[in-house]
Amino acid sequence: MNRLIAVIIVIILSVLSGCAHRAELNKQEKFLAAAPRSILIVPVVNNSVDITAADYLLSTITIPLAERGYYVFPVNMVKRLLEDDGLADSSLVHSAPASKLANLFGADAVLYITVQQWDAQYMVLSTRVTVALDYQIRDGRTDESLWSNKEKIVYMPDDGGGGGLGGLIAKAIVAAITKGLPNYMPLARQANDKALLTYPGKGIPLGPYATEQKELSPGSRK
Amino acid sequence: MKCFSFALIILLMLGCAPRTRYTWEHYDNHLYGHYKDPAQKERFIEALKEVVNEAEASGKVPPGIYAEYGYVLYEHGNGPMAIQYFQKEAEKWPEARIFMTKMIAIVQKGNKKKEDKTRLDTIDAGAKQINPAPAEVTP
Repeated sequence: MNRLIAVIIVIILSVLSGCAHRAELNKQEKFLAAAPRSILIVPVVNNSVDITAADYLLSTITIPLAERGYYVFPVNMVKRLLEDDGLADSSLVHSAPASKLANLFGADAVLYITVQQWDAQYMVLSTRVTVALDYQIRDGRTDESLWSNKEKIVYMPDDGGGGGLGGLIAKAIVAAITKGLPNYMPLARQANDKALLTYPGKGIPLGPYATEQKELSPGSRK
Repeated sequence: MKCFSFALIILLMLGCAPRTRYTWEHYDNHLYGHYKDPAQKERFIEALKEVVNEAEASGKVPPGIYAEYGYVLYEHGNGPMAIQYFQKEAEKWPEARIFMTKMIAIVQKGNKKKEDKTRLDTIDAGAKQINPAPAEVTP
């Protein structure tokens, strides 16, 4: 019986953390009409004071997007190729037409992320990290915006009622800071997941690999 | 009570069948580690190799991984192996075909130039390991 309860708790937790996508929205007409199969993630523009923010977000954005059912172009390879092409400055990449970028890689759509704010306030016993991010997906043919989202998240380790997942993450950050190296990976993951996967809400619809199950069968292509 | 619990579990499982669609093997951590410490290129190549191996073993290879690995091999001077992985990416993912076709052409054309550049990089890094010149690719 105890084991059963444990199993139920684990399942409920996993549902709470990852399966909010059950209810689809009909707010996404433009996105659904364009129906992109593949998304090119270009390097992140960082307007914050934290120099590592862009790296954290670029590293963690592929997994939720691919898990959502899209073909995601290899982010590091894309970044390196753009750099070789004289586009090391990500704001230059963001100001180029989406269609030009999409054409370069054969992508259906382009995802842009801009970090507006990434502030960590270190206090004696706690840390508060405020993160503000802009997300946008543009059509690779028409340059039209298909979807956009703004996320603002404040993480505090001791915000009263346990803090939920945010609290846990902030605690992990504090723990890491005391060791001398702040680890923002959980925070970056959380921010990207929240932006893309919040359903019902502002996330993006399921992609082709999530809806066409036959594509998943292992070993069907070699 | 027990019956109800099982029903609940099954219901929840149906609600969100695959927890992860692909095997990632900490791809995100490896990427960040690479940006934090770009000098450790070999470590990044090894990490991507492991992601590819684990993903292939599970049959759940994520999009972009073959290409990502192929590209670091190319940067490291191994053009022929890079091409193999670009081909794998294109075979598995139709969405990648245009890009991979371009990349294969670039590697075939630029192999010579890249090879010299990589050799310089290796010398700068202390020439610790012997980096045999990759064989010329015959189209």
